[in-house]
Amino acid sequence: MSTLDSSPSILPLYVKAALPLLPGASSLPFVPGGGGEIPSGLELELKGVRPERDRVADYAKVCGFRLREELPPTFPHILAFPLHMAVMSDGRFPFGAVGLVHIENTITRHRPVTFEDAQDIRVGVSRLKAHPKGQSFSLLTEVGVEGETVWTETSTMLRRGKTFGEEQAEPAPFPTLGAETPASATWRLSGDLGRRYGAVSGDRNPIHMHALTARPLGFDSAIAHGMWTLARSLAQLENRLPDSFTVAARFRRPIHLPGRVGFASGDEGERTLFSVRDAGDGTPHLDGTIDPLPTDTAKASV
Amino acid sequence: MKKKTRKVAVVGANRIPFARSNGTYTHASNQDMLTAALDGLIDRFALDGERLGEVAGGAVLKHSRDRDLTRESVLGTRLAAETPAYDVQQACGTGLETTILVANKIALGQIDAGIACGADTTSDAPISLNEELRETLLEANRQTTTLGRIRALTNVRPGHLVPSIPRNEEPRTGLSMGEHCAIMAKDWDIVRTEQDQLAVDSHHRLAAAYERGFFEDLITPYLGLRQDQNLRPDSSLEKLSKLKPVFGGPEGTMTAANSTPLSDGASAVLLASEDWAKERGLPILAYVEEAQTAAVDHVHKREGLLMAPAYAMSEMLGRTGLGLQAFDYYEIHEAFAAQVLCTLKAWESDDFCREKLGRSEAMGPIDRSKLNVNGGSLAAAHPFAATGGRIVGALAKQLHEDGKGRGVISICAAGGQGVVAILEAPGGNK
Repeated sequence: MSTLDSSPSILPLYVKAALPLLPGASSLPFVPGGGGEIPSGLELELKGVRPERDRVADYAKVCGFRLREELPPTFPHILAFPLHMAVMSDGRFPFGAVGLVHIENTITRHRPVTFEDAQDIRVGVSRLKAHPKGQSFSLLTEVGVEGETVWTETSTMLRRGKTFGEEQAEPAPFPTLGAETPASATWRLSGDLGRRYGAVSGDRNPIHMHALTARPLGFDSAIAHGMWTLARSLAQLENRLPDSFTVAARFRRPIHLPGRVGFASGDEGERTLFSVRDAGDGTPHLDGTIDPLPTDTAKASV
Repeated sequence: MKKKTRKVAVVGANRIPFARSNGTYTHASNQDMLTAALDGLIDRFALDGERLGEVAGGAVLKHSRDRDLTRESVLGTRLAAETPAYDVQQACGTGLETTILVANKIALGQIDAGIACGADTTSDAPISLNEELRETLLEANRQTTTLGRIRALTNVRPGHLVPSIPRNEEPRTGLSMGEHCAIMAKDWDIVRTEQDQLAVDSHHRLAAAYERGFFEDLITPYLGLRQDQNLRPDSSLEKLSKLKPVFGGPEGTMTAANSTPLSDGASAVLLASEDWAKERGLPILAYVEEAQTAAVDHVHKREGLLMAPAYAMSEMLGRTGLGLQAFDYYEIHEAFAAQVLCTLKAWESDDFCREKLGRSEAMGPIDRSKLNVNGGSLAAAHPFAATGGRIVGALAKQLHEDGKGRGVISICAAGGQGVVAILEAPGGNK
């Protein structure tokens, strides 16, 4: 594992991540590519991270969170994002990050992380798995504060293409809030949402920036960041979130910008199900579940 | 209406540390800060999922998007969403006025528990459209034809792009609050050193209160701030004497140190009936005994803009039969040191008490060692609507520590208004 002194800067990583798009570039040792398996030991660590107030304030505003003493539950993802990019642009990584699709995300918050916590962020990556539409792998993030694990995340990415192996792996079934639960809120998403979220998150993947940059990558228009949609959903539920919980989300269909989507949520025992859907025809964009951690059931049942 | 009333308990309070304008809370809105103050209170008293009788709150500088600031803040907390809320605005009296409103409903038995709160930001202040531009746009909107709209819009002028920024100015006199207070300071002959001494005492007392851990269950940190940003524990008369006057011209006595700075913050107070608190095993810090609001005519009768608390106090004490000396603590909001000193001098003046308050003689002096014992607004700063909650919380806790005794609160407000209230220790008066 390598320990970094400071957060890697994003732009050079994007260049590295995009280099595999150039014919032949992948044969260079510092450029990801070449195919094959993800090597073990691709791990990065960044210690003692304290987010800047203004950055959190800007992020909270774009996602709809209130600026509280505790950080938005998705915020450690923003701090870990440069590490995600660095892992995926490592010369040993088998393919470039451009064009990868974020298909699932699971976050466990063991306790709220505050401005005062010095976060030790560690990022690793799983092995490749077969997926009906190609291959998937997960970025594994763990945040510790003074040796205590406070936050973990599994971000699952799809590399579209031929699936490998004999087994036609079906993605595991994911709990879905039925269409009979009507949307409780409508969100009007502006055309510049991807650029605004890109500015506060550092995730400036061209598919989110503008129709002109999204088209070469196969999209008719810019699409919303999956992590924005997830963050906005948690902001909608902010007063109902227990201190410790696991939120799992499956990104089902991209949200084209500008657009109008509906948000629905409902409880099933201790679990909260939520979904983001097209405001018109109800096509699901995101399905999510929130489960309180066992130690916190008293609070969660409120 | 019920004839009998019941006792109203101050169960506890919470605030975020107050920050200087354009300091730590620059990007926090009123709703952010109010939510943070409520979060801390809800956590401290395990109010998760609790449906309270009401939450009354407000802000003095408010964006039009914050129409229902308090209700929206409640919806962002873990209080039951079925807790009703409403906004109140009475300038700097807002925080204490909301306490009185909630307390009165509890006293009447209409509700069992509620929260009084307030927030203000001068960093994230509302800036509105230029008034002429606003009128032009509204006129265009009223037109039914495209041509009519275009014609109306031709009235837009480049000068309209200058927005209107809220000013700390009395609408009917055109004077700022500081300028009004400078007139009072001159009328009442308040000297510079006396004002500076009050400011130094305020800083030293607030610092001492932090030192002894007094605020540990009254404040929750916010955005990395743990104590009031304006506090200067090493404040001294010598340092303060070097400052130039900011109000009252070159001969003025009011400086940046003996006037409160612009600031950001929020506070909240939990009030309940005795039964409600006891059922939940919650403490009773103090009881809300009495309250009074008064106003003066600062426009036509040349009354001091910030002299209304002198009247409110006289009326309240007249009703209860208590003398001004009957208190163990005096919490007089230090909008300006001169405001406090003018008020004290007015109560000591036979002429003022006879002519203005209709009394037979002066209300008399107070023991200054009982004044703002845990620091005041000059040290903590003064996010307008949050000040009342800060004072109610601190006085209630002090009375609870003592077990017996009573304290009185006095807050001056823009528009020539003043709000006063009496709190009594859980063990009654001494």
